[in-house]
Amino acid sequence: MFAAISLFVLLSLPHPAIPDTPQKSFDAIAREADAARQADHLSNALKLYSDAVRLRPSWADGWWWLGSILYDQDRFSEAQAPFKRFIALSPKPAPAYAFLALCEYETQDYAQALHHFELWSNARSPGTGALLDVAGFHWALLLTRAGRFNEAFLLLAAKAKQRGATPVLTEAMGLASLRMAFLPEDYPPERRESVWLAGMAAVYNAQSEFRLSDAYAERLFSHYGQEPDVHYFHGILLRFQGSEDSAAEEFQKELQISPRHAPALTEWAASRLETGHNSEALTLARRALEIDPQSARAHYILGRALLETGSFHESAQELETAKRLAPESSRIRFALSNVYKRLGRKQDSEREQAAFLALKGKGNVLAPLDDKLMAPRATERPQ
Amino acid sequence: MISPKTVVLLACSWAIAISFFTGLPSAAFAQQKPAATSSHTSPNFAALSEAAEKANEENRNDDAIRLYRQALNVQPDWKQGLWFLGLLLYEKEQYAEVRDLMRRFVAVEPLAGPGWALLGLSEFQTREYPRSLEHLQHTRSIGLGEQQEMSDALFYHVSVLLTRFEQYDAAMALLMGMRKSGSSPDLLVEPIGLSALRYPLLPSEIPPARKEMFRMAGEAALADEANRRDEAEKLFSTMATEFPNEPGVHFLFGVFLLNVRPNDGIKEIQRELEIVPYNLTAKIRLADEYLKEEKFDDALRLANEVVQLDPQNASGFMVLGETLVAKDDLDRGIAALETSRELRPETVRTHWDLLRAYTSAGRAKDAKREKEEIEQILHPVAPQ
Repeated sequence: MFAAISLFVLLSLPHPAIPDTPQKSFDAIAREADAARQADHLSNALKLYSDAVRLRPSWADGWWWLGSILYDQDRFSEAQAPFKRFIALSPKPAPAYAFLALCEYETQDYAQALHHFELWSNARSPGTGALLDVAGFHWALLLTRAGRFNEAFLLLAAKAKQRGATPVLTEAMGLASLRMAFLPEDYPPERRESVWLAGMAAVYNAQSEFRLSDAYAERLFSHYGQEPDVHYFHGILLRFQGSEDSAAEEFQKELQISPRHAPALTEWAASRLETGHNSEALTLARRALEIDPQSARAHYILGRALLETGSFHESAQELETAKRLAPESSRIRFALSNVYKRLGRKQDSEREQAAFLALKGKGNVLAPLDDKLMAPRATERPQ
Repeated sequence: MISPKTVVLLACSWAIAISFFTGLPSAAFAQQKPAATSSHTSPNFAALSEAAEKANEENRNDDAIRLYRQALNVQPDWKQGLWFLGLLLYEKEQYAEVRDLMRRFVAVEPLAGPGWALLGLSEFQTREYPRSLEHLQHTRSIGLGEQQEMSDALFYHVSVLLTRFEQYDAAMALLMGMRKSGSSPDLLVEPIGLSALRYPLLPSEIPPARKEMFRMAGEAALADEANRRDEAEKLFSTMATEFPNEPGVHFLFGVFLLNVRPNDGIKEIQRELEIVPYNLTAKIRLADEYLKEEKFDDALRLANEVVQLDPQNASGFMVLGETLVAKDDLDRGIAALETSRELRPETVRTHWDLLRAYTSAGRAKDAKREKEEIEQILHPVAPQ
C-alpha cells in the first residue's frame, strides 16, 4: 500500500502550464518530452526533460516531470534536485514538499525529510489521497524514529481506523506503541514478534475491536511482559478502553521494570486525575517532571491537577510552561483559559479560548492528518 | 545446511560466469551502447568499459568494481556496467549500492527479470520488505528468462516474505512447490514452520526460545506432505506436548488430525480456541468440519462469530453461506456467499457454491455467470 506511488498519481497533481516562449527548439523539445512521457517512454522522456530544463532552467513544469519520473523509477537521490528546483520556482509547491521528503526518507536524510513533511503539512495543500496515504505514513515513521511516539501513534491510528490491520501499518503501530525509536527497516530483528503483537493490539484498539486487541495484547504479555514499555503500552490500551484502575496497575508494573519511566508516571497521573484522585495525580506528575522537566504533557497534567485542587496561580504557571513547550496543543489552551477565568483574568481567558477554538482539530500533527491538511487556516476565509 | 545467502550467491556467481545478457529481450545488448547516450560516447568510456570487462573476466574484482564505477560516471545508463557492477557488489554485501544500481538498470531494461530479481534481493537485505516483495513478485510475473538458476533464491525470498506479510497459504504453496522441485528440506523447514503456525516472521526473526517449535512444525508439515503420516503425527504430537500453550500449535495438529481421526482433530482445534479464543482461522476450520459432519448449528454459530469479529473475512462468509444453504436458507446463504465473492473474487470454491445455490434457487442466468467465472479463473485468457 505504502511502497510507492505510481505515476498516475503524479499525473493527477496540479502543475503550471508550459510558458509561452519564442525559443522554438525549447518548445519542440518540451512537446517531445511530454509526448514521450504520455507514451510511457520514460527513459526518453527523462533525457528530453533534462535537455529542456537545461535550455530553460525556469521551466517549473519540466523540473516537476523530471522529479516525478525519477521518483516513479525509485531513483530517489536523483529526484531530489528537480523537486527542489520545482519548489523554488512554483508559487504553490506543497505536494512537491511531500515528494521531496519521501525521496529524502529513501536516501536516509531523515532530518530533512521530517522538516519537509512539516512544510508540506503547514502548506495545507496535500495533493491526492494516495499522496496523503504514503506521505502521512512515512511522516509517522519519522516521528517514531524521532521519539515523538504520541504524534506518530495518532497519525497511524487514524489510518488504522480507515484501513484495518495491514502488515505495514501494524508494524509501524507496533514500533510507536512500544516506544521504539526505529524505522521498520532498522529495528532489531529479535523484536519483530513483539512489534507485530503490539501493532495488532494497537490497530484493533484503534478500531474499537477490544476483544481482538486484548487477545493480541495477552500474547504480547505472555512472552514479553518483563520487557520495558510493554506494561506502559497495556496501560495506554486500557485507558483507551476506559479501564482507569486497571491502567493504573499497569503503569505501576511498568515502573517496577523501568523506575524512571516518565511517560508511565505521567499517564498514571492522568489516570488518577480522571478518576478524581487529584492529590495522587499531583505527586505522580511532579515525579514525572523530576525525570523529564521538558515534558509538555506532564506539565499539562500537573497544571490540571493543581487547577482541580484550587492552586490556580501554580496551575497557570505549569500550563504556561506546557504551552511554551507545545504551542499548538489545543488542550493546553483550553485548560489555560479555564485557569485564567478562575483567576479573574478575563482577557487572557478569552484569548486562550480563541486559540483553543482555532487549534482544535488542526494543531500540528496531533490532529488526524487528513483533517489538518484539508482544513483552512484559522486566519483564512473559506472560499 | 545451505543458507539463503548461499543460494543467492550461487545463483549470482553462476550469472557472472555466464552472462545473461544474451537471454534478455533486447538481445545482445552487451555489445550495444544506449541510444540515448551513444552520441556522447567518449574514447575514455570505451577504454574504461573494456578494462572493466577484462578485469571482471580475470576475476580481479576490486579493479573491476573501480573501473565499472568510472565507466558509469561517464555513461550512467550503460546496462552491462550496471549489471556486472551490481553482481560484484552483491558478493561484497554492498546491498544498498546494488539496489540503487539495479533501480537504474531496470529503468533502462524494464523487461530484464534477473535485474528485478537482484533489485528485490538487495531490498530484502536492506530490509525494505514491502518493496522487495513487490519487485520479486514482478520478477515472477515477467520470468527469469534463461536464468533459472536464480529461481531457488527468488522463490525462497518470495515465500518468506509472503509469510511475513501474512499470506500464509500462498507462502505454503510456494514452499511445498520448492520441495517438490528438489529444494533442500534444511532450507525450507523453518519457513514452512512459520507459515504453518501462521507467524509473520522471517526465519531470522524467530525467537531463540521457540526455534525448536517452528522446526518441529516445519518437519511435521514436510512429513505430512510426503505422506509419512506416522512420522508427521509423532512430530505434531511432540510439538503440542512441548509447547502446549503456544498459539497455532493445537490448530496445526488439529488440522492434521481432521484427515486422520476427525474427532481428535476437533478436540485439538477446540484446545486451540481455549488458548486463543479469537483465532478466526481455527473457528473457520472447525465450522467447516462441523458442516461436513452436518452439525449445522455448531457450524453456524462459529461462522457467525467470525464474520461479526471480522466483517472482511471472506472465508468466514463462505462457510457461513455454505452452512445456510445446507440448512435450506437459500436467500441468506446466497447473500453470505455473494459477500464472500465480493471480498475475494479469485476463490473458486465460492463460485462453485454460488453456482449450486443459484441453480437450486432457479436463477439460471446467475448460475451461468458463475460457471463462466470459474472457467475464467481456472483457464485465464492471456491479455493480447
